Amino acid sequence: METMKLKHSLFTRRQFLNGLFGGWLGALLASLMYPIVKFIFPPVREPDQVVLPFSEFKDMAPNEAKNFPWGSKPGILKRNDDGSYTAFVAVCTHLDCNVSYLAEQRKFFCACHEGWYDEEGKNIQGPPPRPLRRLIVSIEGEDLIIKREDLQ
Amino acid sequence: MTIKDLVSGWRTWLEARSDLSSIEQFLRKKTVPQHKHSIWYYTGSAILLFFTIQVITGFMLVFYYKPTLEEANQSVAQIMTEIPLGWIIRSVHTWSAFFMIAIVFIHLLSIWITKAYRKPRELTWMSGVFLLFVTLGFGFTGYLLPWDDLSLSATKVGTDIPRSIPVVGAWVTKFLRGGDDVTGDTLTRFFGFHVCILPVLIFVLLAVHVYLIQKHGMSLPLPVELRKEKVKEIPFWPNFVYREMIVWLILVGVLFTVAIFLPPSLDKAADLMAPAPEGIKPEWYFLFLFQLLKIFPAHVLFISGDTIAVILILLGVIFFFFLPLIDNKPARVKGKVIAVIAYVFIVFAVAMTVWSLH
Repeated sequence: METMKLKHSLFTRRQFLNGLFGGWLGALLASLMYPIVKFIFPPVREPDQVVLPFSEFKDMAPNEAKNFPWGSKPGILKRNDDGSYTAFVAVCTHLDCNVSYLAEQRKFFCACHEGWYDEEGKNIQGPPPRPLRRLIVSIEGEDLIIKREDLQ
Repeated sequence: MTIKDLVSGWRTWLEARSDLSSIEQFLRKKTVPQHKHSIWYYTGSAILLFFTIQVITGFMLVFYYKPTLEEANQSVAQIMTEIPLGWIIRSVHTWSAFFMIAIVFIHLLSIWITKAYRKPRELTWMSGVFLLFVTLGFGFTGYLLPWDDLSLSATKVGTDIPRSIPVVGAWVTKFLRGGDDVTGDTLTRFFGFHVCILPVLIFVLLAVHVYLIQKHGMSLPLPVELRKEKVKEIPFWPNFVYREMIVWLILVGVLFTVAIFLPPSLDKAADLMAPAPEGIKPEWYFLFLFQLLKIFPAHVLFISGDTIAVILILLGVIFFFFLPLIDNKPARVKGKVIAVIAYVFIVFAVAMTVWSLH
């Protein structure tokens, strides 16, 4: 059987050594960059859920809204006409400004670029590209529990 | 068009506007002598290595550190426990400072003993002495920033020492502290020294120092110069730089090993009203001065012991700074006394340091 052997090497000794040296330097650099990148970007700390005392929200009138802290962002809790609750992350989907609820117009408003959302959080006017992020509200005894939507 | 054409086109564009090739030519022409004292040539770039590590880790720590009375200690605790790999970054910053200062001392003693400061290198020496003081300033101000009992006491003592300087002393202390006492204002001020003022100074001084070294070339130690035969030389680029890279690799390995196995501690936040804890001591490089202050009696005749100690230290500093002007013999003349003084200083500093640890 004839062996498969090339008559000439595919790379020179110099190329091989340069590759080895460069690869080694690259590996060293990567191992130095790893902790730096880990350090500079701390893990996202959005909460899975927040627990609020229900007593503070139980007497809200229909169409009234109250803020609550959702991690480092504001959340907004709104009482619906049928007595149920809806919660949103009160941050505009356009460029991250905090929004407010204008009860008499039944709309959410972002002052930064005049963005409007209806009372269901749907973007209806101005630059916002998406509806407000909804959160899941449940009541368990004395606690009002607000969860991320994907944890339902 | 291939990548090669693109790069060469870009180089021509840059060259026509910047004359960068003169630097390249300089590096190709520069040589480093080879003899049995060559090892000292590596200390300079080792200092630069640790300095670079200090800059990078310092940039990173400043992302999370909060220089206020209320938050400083807690933010360091956060770096140590919450931020991913934060403890390694702080540990490397602490240990790299340790190594940098250690090599600074080796660097300057080697220059002292081989008398490399003689004409025409007097200004290189003097800029180096300024660099030493800025480096020690980094160490001293950085020691306060974690704001625990140890760092508070060390800063109280350290900023009180200048008070013994005649005439201007009280003013210097007040300037360093931002008031009569060490308070949260001192912390914020030290942070300013550590991350704004000293960095600007060190970059300016480094530029002068490195420029002068390039201008004069490497100094030959006396015994080598006196031999009169031609000294073997190697090109700076790439031969010497490759050798330096081996040294850097070893040093980085040692640094990270020590940093990972011996991370620095952090005590509870300093209490401005609490008595000094037992066993307070400054960083190791100030220990010999610390011990000197400790052994001086309260009064010598009618002058306070502190004043005498501080004046002695100041005289030492002045001698040290003006060394090239005091020992102004031509480069070829031996000077035994100066070398003996260097050895006496080493023995004194080591003895005082060991004494202070007992």
